[in-house]
Amino acid sequence: MPRLIIDDLEVDVPKGSKVIDAAERLGIMIPRFCYHEALGSVGACRMCAVKFIQGPFKGVQMSCMIDAQDGMVVSTTDEEAVQFRQRVIELLMMNHPLDCPVCDEGGQCLLQDETVSGGHAIRRYRGKKRTYRDQYLGPYIQHEMNRCIHCYRCSRYYQEFSGYRDLGPLQIGDRMFFGRFSDGKLESPFSGNLVDICPTGVYTDKTARFKVRRWDLHRAPSLCNHCPLGCNTIANAHYRGVMRVEARYNQDVNGYFICDAGRFGFSYSNGGALHEKRPWTPRIQGSDVSAKAAIAKAREDLDNVAEKYGPGAIAAVGSARNSLESQCMLGKICRTRGWRGPVFFTDPAKLRKTRSALERLDGDIAVSLREIENADFIVIAGADPLNEAGMAALAVRQASRKQAPIVTIDPRPLFLPCDFDHIPAAPGKIELYLGMLISAALAKDSTGFGKEAVDFYSALVAEKGKSEVPAGIFSLAERLGASQRPVIICGTDVTRETTPSFTADCVRLLRLAGKQAGLFYLLPGAGSFSSALLSGTDGEAFGDLIGDIENGLIKALVVVESDPFHYYPDRVRLERAMESLELVVAIDYFPSSTVSRASIFYPASTIFETGATYVNQEGRAQFARPVHHGGVPVWGGEHPPRVYSNSIPGGDHLPAWKALWEIAGSTPDTGAADISPGEFIPAEHAAFEAFGSDNYPVDGIRVLQGKAGLTGNWNSRIEESSQRPENAEPLELLMVEWMFGTTEFSAWSDSLASAIAEPYMSMNSKDACRAGVCDGDRVSLELDNGTIEIKVSVSDRAAEGVLVIPRHQSLDWRKMKDFSVRVLPGKIRKI
Amino acid sequence: MLPDELKLKLEKMISDAESPREKAIDVMFEIQELQGWMSDEAMVEAAGLLGMTPLELEELATFYDYIYRSPVGKYVIKVCDSTVCWLEGHQSIIDYISARAGVPMGGTSPDGLFTLLPVCCIGYCDRAPAMVINKRVYGKLTPEKIDRILDKLANSAEFHESE
Amino acid sequence: MPQYPQVLFKNRKPDRVATLDEYRESGGYQALEKFVGGAVSPKEIISLVDQSGLLGRGGAGFPCGKKWAAVPESGAFPRYLVANGDEMEPGTFKDRILLHVDPHCIIEGMVLSGYSFSASKAFFFVRPSYESSAVILERELEYARQAGFLGNNILGTDFSFDIVVHRSGGRYICGEASALLNAIMGKRPNPVKPPPYPTEKGLWDKPTVVNNVETLACVPHILRNGPEWFKGLSATPHGAGTKLYGISGKVNIPGAVELPIGTRLSEIIEEYCGGMSPGSEFKACLPGGASTRFMTREHYDIPMDFEDLKKIGNRLGTAAIMVFDQKTCLVGATLNLIEFFARESCGWCTPCREGLPYMRDLLWRIENGEGKEEDIPNLRRLCKEVWNSYCALAPGAAEPVISLLDFFEDEVRQHISEKGCPFHAKADH
Ligand SMILES: Cc1cc2nc3c(=O)[nH]c(=O)nc-3n(C[C@H](O)[C@H](O)[C@H](O)COP(=O)(O)O)c2cc1C
Ligand code: SF4
Ligand code: FES
Repeated sequence: MPRLIIDDLEVDVPKGSKVIDAAERLGIMIPRFCYHEALGSVGACRMCAVKFIQGPFKGVQMSCMIDAQDGMVVSTTDEEAVQFRQRVIELLMMNHPLDCPVCDEGGQCLLQDETVSGGHAIRRYRGKKRTYRDQYLGPYIQHEMNRCIHCYRCSRYYQEFSGYRDLGPLQIGDRMFFGRFSDGKLESPFSGNLVDICPTGVYTDKTARFKVRRWDLHRAPSLCNHCPLGCNTIANAHYRGVMRVEARYNQDVNGYFICDAGRFGFSYSNGGALHEKRPWTPRIQGSDVSAKAAIAKAREDLDNVAEKYGPGAIAAVGSARNSLESQCMLGKICRTRGWRGPVFFTDPAKLRKTRSALERLDGDIAVSLREIENADFIVIAGADPLNEAGMAALAVRQASRKQAPIVTIDPRPLFLPCDFDHIPAAPGKIELYLGMLISAALAKDSTGFGKEAVDFYSALVAEKGKSEVPAGIFSLAERLGASQRPVIICGTDVTRETTPSFTADCVRLLRLAGKQAGLFYLLPGAGSFSSALLSGTDGEAFGDLIGDIENGLIKALVVVESDPFHYYPDRVRLERAMESLELVVAIDYFPSSTVSRASIFYPASTIFETGATYVNQEGRAQFARPVHHGGVPVWGGEHPPRVYSNSIPGGDHLPAWKALWEIAGSTPDTGAADISPGEFIPAEHAAFEAFGSDNYPVDGIRVLQGKAGLTGNWNSRIEESSQRPENAEPLELLMVEWMFGTTEFSAWSDSLASAIAEPYMSMNSKDACRAGVCDGDRVSLELDNGTIEIKVSVSDRAAEGVLVIPRHQSLDWRKMKDFSVRVLPGKIRKI
Repeated sequence: MLPDELKLKLEKMISDAESPREKAIDVMFEIQELQGWMSDEAMVEAAGLLGMTPLELEELATFYDYIYRSPVGKYVIKVCDSTVCWLEGHQSIIDYISARAGVPMGGTSPDGLFTLLPVCCIGYCDRAPAMVINKRVYGKLTPEKIDRILDKLANSAEFHESE
Repeated sequence: MPQYPQVLFKNRKPDRVATLDEYRESGGYQALEKFVGGAVSPKEIISLVDQSGLLGRGGAGFPCGKKWAAVPESGAFPRYLVANGDEMEPGTFKDRILLHVDPHCIIEGMVLSGYSFSASKAFFFVRPSYESSAVILERELEYARQAGFLGNNILGTDFSFDIVVHRSGGRYICGEASALLNAIMGKRPNPVKPPPYPTEKGLWDKPTVVNNVETLACVPHILRNGPEWFKGLSATPHGAGTKLYGISGKVNIPGAVELPIGTRLSEIIEEYCGGMSPGSEFKACLPGGASTRFMTREHYDIPMDFEDLKKIGNRLGTAAIMVFDQKTCLVGATLNLIEFFARESCGWCTPCREGLPYMRDLLWRIENGEGKEEDIPNLRRLCKEVWNSYCALAPGAAEPVISLLDFFEDEVRQHISEKGCPFHAKADH
C-alpha cells in the first residue's frame, strides 16, 4: 500500500490507484473532466494538474495519469498548478457559450462548477467562438455540440465501455466533433448514461429537458424495478411528477450506469403525458368513490365471500412487481385470514425454477455484477443478459474487455455488446452442453473431489458421444480449465426446471476443483427473489388456481400489483374464469386489464411515492426511498382542477401493503390501526429476520438462503436430454423477454414507446427450410386459439427445434393452451 | 455502388493485411481514385468491406487531409501555405490560380475540373513555392509554369472525356 | 568547398534513383550478407549500432541502439519495425531526397534492424505528397525481393522479413511515434503515452520499433565499416556520423546536403547553399524544423550537432534549416508556423487543441495591428503552459513563439505600437 502526502495529509492507497483517487480518499476533489473512474485515465483535458514536490515525478503533472507511489509529496494548491488549471478553464471557455441560463445542464454542470471554483470570470480571448451543427440522436438524447469541451468521455463510454459503435470522435484539432455518421437514433440501449457522464450540456435528457431546474427537484435515492438486478437510481420529482431518473453509484450492483429501460421507463407513474393513464382514484364497479368507501366496500364484500364460501374461496395474487413489504403483507393476510395463496408467479414451472435457483444460492457462490466484471471466464446458460437484465450485459462486456472468454449456450441467436462464442442449444440441450464444457475443463481426479463430485463428474462425462459435440467446445473448455474466477450466468426463463440447480452443481464442481467459481441467476422480475422465498416449498402459481376458479372453489381474488392478463397464455380461458368470479379487488398503479375489470379498485403508490424494499437476484436487499407524495402531476395537459379541498388530487393512493392492511388486516371495530413493515416482515420468512422495527428499512444486506453441497444424481436427467431426437418436431415455442416491449413497464410508460422495435420470431435456418419460410418473411403462426402474424428472422445461430417469440405487447400471443406449447412446422405459413 | 472489379481488388487488399482496418486509407484512396471523393454511399460500402461501422470509418475519413467527404473537382489543387512557401510568396500563387481557373479558395471551378485548397507543408520546401495536384507535386511555381500545368490538365481532361 | 565523405548520398545522381546494382557496386547489401548470414548474433548488431553513437534522426535524437535493445528478449512475436517517413514538419524534406537517391540503403537498413530484434515485418509509413517516393520504394522493394534480400528466407537463411508501404491520409501528428502506430492499425492517430513503450507493446500489442528513415539508412554503413569509422565521420568530438541537412528559405541553392554532423551553420549556408539569396542578409533561422527556436546571427557559427544546439537551449530536431532574411517579418513567420500547428493538432488535449488557436489569434492580431501590450505576457504564459500538453506537438509549436519573444521582442512591440506590420508598410510604400 503506497503511502503519500497530499496537501500535508498522509494517505495509504491500494497499489495502482491514481493520485487523483488518492486525493479523493482525503476528501480533496481535484478538478477533472476526462477522468472518470469507470473509464480510466487518458490525460486529455489536463484539468487535474497538481504539483509534484517530492518523489519520482517533479513539477506540474496530471494527477490522473500518475500512480500513487510511496514517498510522493503532492500539492494541489501550489500556485503554478492552480494557475495552470485556471488556464485550462480559460481555454475550455474560449469557445463555450455563456448561456447557462438557457442550458438544461445549468445547475448540474461540472464545467460551470469548475469555471466558478477556478475563478475564471473575465474573458480575454478576443476571437470568435466556433459553432457546430447538432445531430438528431433519437428521442432520448439531445445533442448540443457547441457546449462540447472535448473530454472524450462520451465516445470512450459509448464505444469502449458499452461496446456500441455508432457514436464517436470525428474531425481533428479544434474542429473535433462527437456524433454519429448521420442523424439517427443512438443504437445503444445504454445511451442515457451519456447524460450523466457528459460534464457539460452536450447530451441532455430529452424527456426532461427544459421542464425544471435541478435545484427545484425533489431528489431521493431510488431503485430500478424493471428487472431483477435492482440498479440504484436517483429519482427526481417536481410538481407531483417524476421528471427524470439518473444512475446512482453502487459499487457492487450497477456501478455508475443504468440501462435506458430503467432511466426512461418511469412515465407510468405520471400516467403518461396527460396523466390520464394512471388510475388515480378508488373505484367501485367502475365509478369513482372516496378512499374510505372503497376500503369499506372491499372489506365488506370480502367478508361476505368468506362467510358464504369460507375464507379459502378468496385467493390473493401478487407478482414480481411487488415490493418485499407488499409480499410479506400478502403472506401475513393469507395466513391470518385463511385465504388461499398468496401466489406471485403466473407460470407454475417458473415458480419451481426460481425456487430451485434460490435453494442453491448461498453466500459462497452468489456473485455480484462487480464480480462478473472481474471474472476471467463467463458461461451464459439459457440466459439473455441484454434483454433480461440489461446491466448484466455491460458487466459481461467489462470482463470481455479484460480478455475473459464469453460463451453462451442458448436457443436464441443472442446478441451481446462484446465478442463471444455462441453454442445454439434447445432448452433440453443446455444442461448437456454445459456439462460437456465443465467436464472437459476439469480432470476427474481433481483434488478436492469427494465421492459425490466424482459421481457427478462421471455423469457428465458419460454423456459425451451420446450427442454431437458443439464446435469449439473443447478449446473453450481448455480456457475454462485455465481460468481462476469463472462465473456462470443462468436464466430461469427459457431453461428447463432442473437447469438452475444443475448449473449450481456445475459451479460447485468448479469450486471443488479449486476455482473461485461464481453463480449469477437471472430471475423473472424485481421482486421474484423474495416472492419465490415466500411462496414456500409447495407454493402455487396463478396457473394452479385457474382450475379452482373454474370449479367454483375460488370465488374472489385480491390482486395486488399484478395482472394475470399480461402473463397468462390462454386469454380465452382466463377471461371466462375471471368472469365467473364474484369479486375481484385490485390494488395497482397500472391501468391493467385486471384493474379495469375489478369490482373494487384501490390505487397503489409507485416505487417513487412509497418506501419500498426489493431483494435482487443475488439476494441483496435494497431500499428505495420515496421521492414525493405523488398525485396527479400539475404540469402538462389541463390546468389542475380548481376544486377546493384539503386533499391532493389523485393523492389517495397508498403503498399496496398498506391498502391491503386497511382492507383486510385491521379489524372492523378498531379501524385501520397502524402497522409498520418492521412489525410484520420478519415474521414471514426466516430470511427476513433482520428486518425488525429497529433495523427497518434495511439496505444492502444479503438474505441468501441457499444450501451448499452437490445435489448429485444427474444421471437419469442427462440421459433424457441427450436422448431427445435431434430434429425434434414439433417445434418448441419459447416466449421470451425483450428489454423494450414485453414488460408491463414498457406497456404503461409512453416514454419507452419509441424504443420498442417491431417484434419478430427467430428460428433456425433448417427449421425455416422445413417450414418453407425465409428470413424477413411475414408468416402466420397457428396457435391453439387462433393465429398470430409475425416477421421471421432466420439464423444459424438459433437452435434447431425452437421458435422464439417475444411476449411483445403489440403481438396477440395469448392464444396458447398452456405455458409451453409445441408447433408443427406446417402451422407456420408465409403470407 | 462500387464496381465489382474494384470491390474484388479491395477485398483482396483487405484480406492481405494484418487486420482489415489497416487498409482503411488505401480503400478510401482507391475509391477516390475512381469517384474523386467519398460519398455517403461509398463510406457505407467501404466500411462494410473493412468490417467497420460507417461511423468508425468516418472517424478516420474526417481526420485526414487527403480524404474528401464532399465533392471535389477532377483535379484537387492544394497549394502549400506553410513557412517556406509563405516566404516565397504562396499567396500570389493562390491568387493567380484562383483567377486563372476561376475558382475561389476552397471552391470548385464551374466546369468541375479544379478544386483549390490550402495544404500544409508538402515536404518540397527546397522547391518552394510548391503545390500538389491529386498526388503529383509541382515546385518552383511561377505564373508561366502554372499556366502550362493547368493547360495540360484541362486538355488531357477534355481528351479523356471525348475518348 | 571542402569535400566531405558522402555516405548516404554517395550514389546521388543528378536526376534519377540509384539502382540495386549501383547500390551493390558501392558496397551495398554486404552488411546484410555478412550479418544475416549469421557471422555474428543479432544482439551483436544492436551493440555495434549502440557503440556507433547513432542518434535518431527523427527529431528527438534518441540513441538508436538503446531503442532496439529495449525490445525484451522474452517479448511476444511477431515483432514489427516501422520506418517513419511521414516527414510533415515544415522545412523537412531530407527523407524524401534520401529515398530518391538511394532507396536500397534504406531497405538494407530496415532488414538489418528487423533482424537485430527478430522482427518479421516492417511498415514504411509515407505521406500522400510523397506518392512518387512510395511508388519508387514499392518498385525497388520488389527488386530487393527478387534478389533475395527481402521476403521469405532471406539469402537462403531461415530469416524472413518483408516490408510493406503504408500510405498515410496526411496529418502531421501521424509522425509522432505512438500516433503513427495507431494510424497503421487504422485507428484514429491520437498519440498514446507510455508505458507501455512500443518496444514492449506496439502494433497489435506486439513489440515494435519506430525509427526515422535516415536513422535506418545509416545502419548498413555502420555495420560494414564499424562503429569507430561512423564516429569518426563527425565534425565534432562528441557527434557521430554524417547528417542530412535540408536547407530552405532565403539561400541561393536550397536543398539537402550530407555533411559531417556538427558542420558549422555558416559553412553550410555559405559553402553548400551558395550563400544568402541576392539582397538577403541572414536574420535568423530555425535550425531543425518548425518546432525549434529561432536562432539569431549570434549563433551563425555554431556546430550543427545535437549537443551544441542543446547547449544554447535549442534543438537539432530534423536538421531542417529554414533561413530568414532581414526583409522577413518574423511575427508573420511565427503566425504562419502556429497556423500550421493549430491546424494539425490532433485535438486530444486542451492546451494544444485550444491553446494553439489562442496563440494564433494573438499573433494574428499583433501582425494585423490589433495587438495589445498585455498580449505579450499572455503569449509567454501560454507558451509555458502548452508544455503541459499530452504529446510533444504543442511544446514544439511553442518553441518558435517563445524564441520570437525572447530574441525579437522589439519587433513584436513595434507591431503593437505601430498598429501593424512594419514590413508590410515598407512593401506598400
Ligand atoms: C508531432 C510530432 C511529429 C513527428 N514527426 C516525425 C516525422 O515525420 N518523422 C520522424 O521520423 N519522426 C517524427 N517525430 C518523432 C517521432 O516521434 C520519433 O521520435 C521518431 O520517429 C523516432 O525515430 P528515431 O529514433 O530514428 O529518430 C515526430 C514527433 C512529434 C512529436
Ligand atoms: S499536444 Fe495534445 S492535441 Fe496536440 S497533438 Fe499532442 S495530444 Fe494531440
Ligand atoms: S482528468 Fe486528468 S487530464 Fe483530464
